[in-house]
Amino acid sequence: MRAIPTLKISISGVRGVIGDSLSPILLTRFAQAFGTFVGSGSIVIGRDPRTSGEMVKQAVIAGLLSSGCKVIDVGMCPVPTVQLIVRQRGAQGGLAITASHNPAEWNALKFIGPDGLFLSSGSAREMLDIYHQGEYTKVAGAEMRTVEIATGAIDLHIRTILDAVGTLPSTPKPLRVVLDACNGAGSIVGPKLITALGAEVISINDQPNGQFPRPAEPLPENLGDLCAAVKKHGADVGFAQDMDADRLAVVSNEGEAIGEDYTLVLAVSYVLGKERGPVVANLSTSNALDFVVNRFGCPLYRSKIGEANVTDLMKREAAVIGGEGNGGVIYPRINFARDSLVGMALILHFIAEQGRSLSQILSSFPRLYIIKEKLLCPSNKIAGILKLLRKTYGDSEMDLTDGIKVLLPEGWFHVRGSNTEPFIRVSVEGESRERARQISDSILGLIRTHLALPAS
Amino acid sequence: MKPLKIGITGIRGVVGETFTPELIVGFAQAFGTYLNGGPILVCRDTRPSGPMVHAAVCAGLLAAGCEAVDLGICPTPSMQLAVSHLGAEGGIAITAGHNPAPWNALKFVRNDGLYLNSSQGEELLDIYHQGEFDKVTWDKIKSTLESEDAIEHHIDVLSRAFDLDVIRSRHLRVAVDCCNGACTRLIPRWLAAAGCEVLAVNDDPSLPFPHSPEPKPETMAQLRAVVKAGRADIGFSLDADGERLGIVTDHEEPLSEELTLALAAEIRLPVRRGTIVTNISTTSAIDRIAARHGGAVVRTPVGQAYISEFMIEHEAVLGGEGSGGIAVPEVHYTHDAAAGIGLILERLAKTGETISQLRACLPTLTMIKHNLKVDPNRIYSLLHNFRTRIDREQLEADLTDGIKVTFPDGWIHARVSNTESMIRLIVEAEDPARAQNLLDWTRDRIRN
Repeated sequence: MRAIPTLKISISGVRGVIGDSLSPILLTRFAQAFGTFVGSGSIVIGRDPRTSGEMVKQAVIAGLLSSGCKVIDVGMCPVPTVQLIVRQRGAQGGLAITASHNPAEWNALKFIGPDGLFLSSGSAREMLDIYHQGEYTKVAGAEMRTVEIATGAIDLHIRTILDAVGTLPSTPKPLRVVLDACNGAGSIVGPKLITALGAEVISINDQPNGQFPRPAEPLPENLGDLCAAVKKHGADVGFAQDMDADRLAVVSNEGEAIGEDYTLVLAVSYVLGKERGPVVANLSTSNALDFVVNRFGCPLYRSKIGEANVTDLMKREAAVIGGEGNGGVIYPRINFARDSLVGMALILHFIAEQGRSLSQILSSFPRLYIIKEKLLCPSNKIAGILKLLRKTYGDSEMDLTDGIKVLLPEGWFHVRGSNTEPFIRVSVEGESRERARQISDSILGLIRTHLALPAS
Repeated sequence: MKPLKIGITGIRGVVGETFTPELIVGFAQAFGTYLNGGPILVCRDTRPSGPMVHAAVCAGLLAAGCEAVDLGICPTPSMQLAVSHLGAEGGIAITAGHNPAPWNALKFVRNDGLYLNSSQGEELLDIYHQGEFDKVTWDKIKSTLESEDAIEHHIDVLSRAFDLDVIRSRHLRVAVDCCNGACTRLIPRWLAAAGCEVLAVNDDPSLPFPHSPEPKPETMAQLRAVVKAGRADIGFSLDADGERLGIVTDHEEPLSEELTLALAAEIRLPVRRGTIVTNISTTSAIDRIAARHGGAVVRTPVGQAYISEFMIEHEAVLGGEGSGGIAVPEVHYTHDAAAGIGLILERLAKTGETISQLRACLPTLTMIKHNLKVDPNRIYSLLHNFRTRIDREQLEADLTDGIKVTFPDGWIHARVSNTESMIRLIVEAEDPARAQNLLDWTRDRIRN
C-alpha cells in the first residue's frame, strides 16, 4: 500500500513533515502567495521551538520580502502572541510557524488576517488560489523592504492580560501552580505571567529546545508527570500547554487530569459570573458547557471545528467568550484567539475568588465522560465513512454541519476528517464511562470494518 | 534576453524578475547536497535584495542538513579566508560583484576557500537540474549561527602578509570609495590598521550604490575630487564585494582597471621573481613587466577559478585579471582588493616613491574593448567563420577561451559574452591608431 501522504494543504494552513513533504521551496511559495494576497504590507511572524523552525522561518522571510512585505519577526513565541501583535502593530497579517500539537517531525504555516484572526475559509481559499496559480508579486531590489526584529512581544502580551483581569484577589496562601509547557513556546511566557498574577509557579518541561518531553496534545494520558508534580508539591492546580501555547489542560489539586473540555467550562463559569452574554463552542465540546451556560441563562451557539469557525460565529453572535473542547479558550476582551495564557489567568482568578479547592469546584459541575480517538485514514475514505454513519444512524437526531454529530440517549458522537493530519477523528461523550465506551466501541467498530482494519 | 545566467561560476539574475526565492532556495539545497552537509558560511554585499536572498539561501542550506553560518555584510574574500579558518565545508557569497544594483547572484566557494572549478560547477548544476536534493529529518536539521568576525581574521592575515611597521611609519593619506558596498566594513579598518589617514567616501552600507560598483575611470570622478581636496597620496575604488580594485594617483589620474594588475606586477616581481597568472584578455603590459624583471606569465581562460587553479599549479607569485582583481598568494589564491592595497602601500612606504612615479614605469599601450551586438542564433557560426578566415590567412589562433590572435605589435581577442547576446572584442596595440586598425581588421573578418 502506498504510504499516506504527509502534506496537508487546507484552509487551516499548510502542514507537512520535515525532510519529506514540507520543503523550503513549497514554504517560500506559500509565503509569496500570502504576501501577494495581503498586498505587500507588514507581516508579523513567530515560531514555536521545533528544530525545523529556523529553516521554515528563513523560507518564509525570503518569500515575504520577495513579494514586497515588511517582516516583523517576534521570534519564538506562542501563536496567540503573534495574533495579538498583528492587531497591536496594525499589521496586514501574520504568519505563525507551528504544527501546534502534531509530533516533532511536523511543521506548518498558519495564516492570520489583519484582525489577528486566522484567515476565514473564504480568505483562505483566495490565498490558496493565488498559491496554485503561481503568479506572485515580485518586487525589484530597490523596493524591497526589511526584517524588523521585534523584542518585547511577550512582555506586551502579559501586560495586556494583567491590564484586563488584574492580579489575583488575595487568598490565605498564594495559589501554587505547576506548569507543564511541553518544552513549547509557552515555556518562557507562562511562568512570567503566573508570577505577575501573584501566584507561585513550579515549572516542568520548560526548555524550548525542540525536544518533545511528552506527546504535545495535552490529553489526560499525556499528563502523568504533571499530575505527579501537582501532588508532590501540594499545588492548587496544574496547567499543561501544547507546543504553540494555544491549548490549555487543567489538573486538579488532587492530581487528576480533568479532561480538556473542562478548561473551557471553568473559564466560561468565571467570565459569565462577571458578565452575561452569548457563548460559542464547537460541535465536539462537552455538554457540561451547556449546563454552565444554562445556569447563567445565556445562549450557547455551536460552530464547526476550527478556530476560524469559532471566531466567525463569536463575531456574529457578539459572544463574550468562546472556545473549543480541546482546551482552547477565546476571550475577545483580551485576545481574539485561543490563548492558553488568558485561560490560565481566568481559571486562577476563578479558583482564588471561589475560595474552594479546584476539586470542590468541579464537584458542582456534571461529570461527563469524553473519549477522543483518531484513526489513520486516507482522505479519500472519509466521505464513505460519513455516508455509512448517516445510514446507520438515520433514525437519530443528527447535525451535519461538520462531519456527522449524532445525539443518542445518554450521550453523543461526532466523526469528521482531520483538517491537519491524515486521520479521521471520533469524539464521544456519555453520562457514564461505560456508556461512552459503548458508543465509542460501536462507532470505531464500524469504521474499522469499513477501512478493513483489524479490530483492536 | 531574460536577465538570468546560470553557469559554472554561479547564478546571476535580476531580483523581481528571474532571480526568485524558489530558484535561490533550489540552488542552496543543491549546494548543500553537493557538499553533503557541514557548516556553510554565508555572506552578502549591501544590495537591498540581500536579506531576501540570504533568507532563501539559509532555508535551502538548512533543509539539506547544513548549518548556515551568517557572516552578515562582509566582503567575499573575507568569507573565503574564513571558510578554511573556521573549518567550514564551503561558502556562498550573495553578491553580483560589479553588476548594477538590481542584480544579485550566488557564488559558490569550496572548503579551501576557492570558487568551484568548472567541473565542480558542472556537478553542482547537474544536482540542481536533477532536483533530487538531500532533505534532513527534524532530528538532524540544524539552525543558523551568527559567526565571529570574519573581517577581523582577514585583517590579521593581511597584517602578517605585509610589512605593517614600514607602512605605518609613513602615515600615508589614503582616499577610498567603497561604493557603499561590503568593503565599508573592511577597507577603512584595514587602512587604519596600516596606520593610514583615511579619507572615505560612500562608506555607509545602508545607502544605495552612488554609482556603478565597477572600479573604472568612468566611476572615479568623486574619488578624484577627494584625492584632490584631501591631497591624498593615493585613492582606491572598490566594487561591491571587495574583489576588484581601481586606483587614482596622487596627480588625480584615474587608472584603467587593466593597470591595477600591471602595477601589482611591477611591485611584486623585484621582490619575488616568479610566475604571474592572468587570463588571455589581460593587457600585454604584464608580459613586458615580467620580461623586464625576469618573471614568467601564464595565461588562462577568463574566470577567477582558473586563476586560482593555475596559481597553485605554477606556484605563482601573483595572479589577477584586467578587471582589477588581484590575488596575492601570501593572503589567498583568490581576488582580494585588500591584498592589492597592501601590496601597493608597502611599496610606497618602503621606497618613498609616489604612485604617479610608479605609474610612469608602466608600459603605455592602447586597449579598446568593443561589444559587437549580433543575432543570438548566429553568434557561434560567426566566430566559426572568423576562425576559418584566420586559418586561411595562415595566422596562428590561441583557442584557450574564444579566439586570440597575436601580432608583432598587438593582439586581438574575440569571445562570446557570458551575459548578453554579443561578441566581446578586445584589442591592444602600441598606439591608438594601430589599435583602431586592429579592431577594424577583426570586425571586417567577423561581419563578412
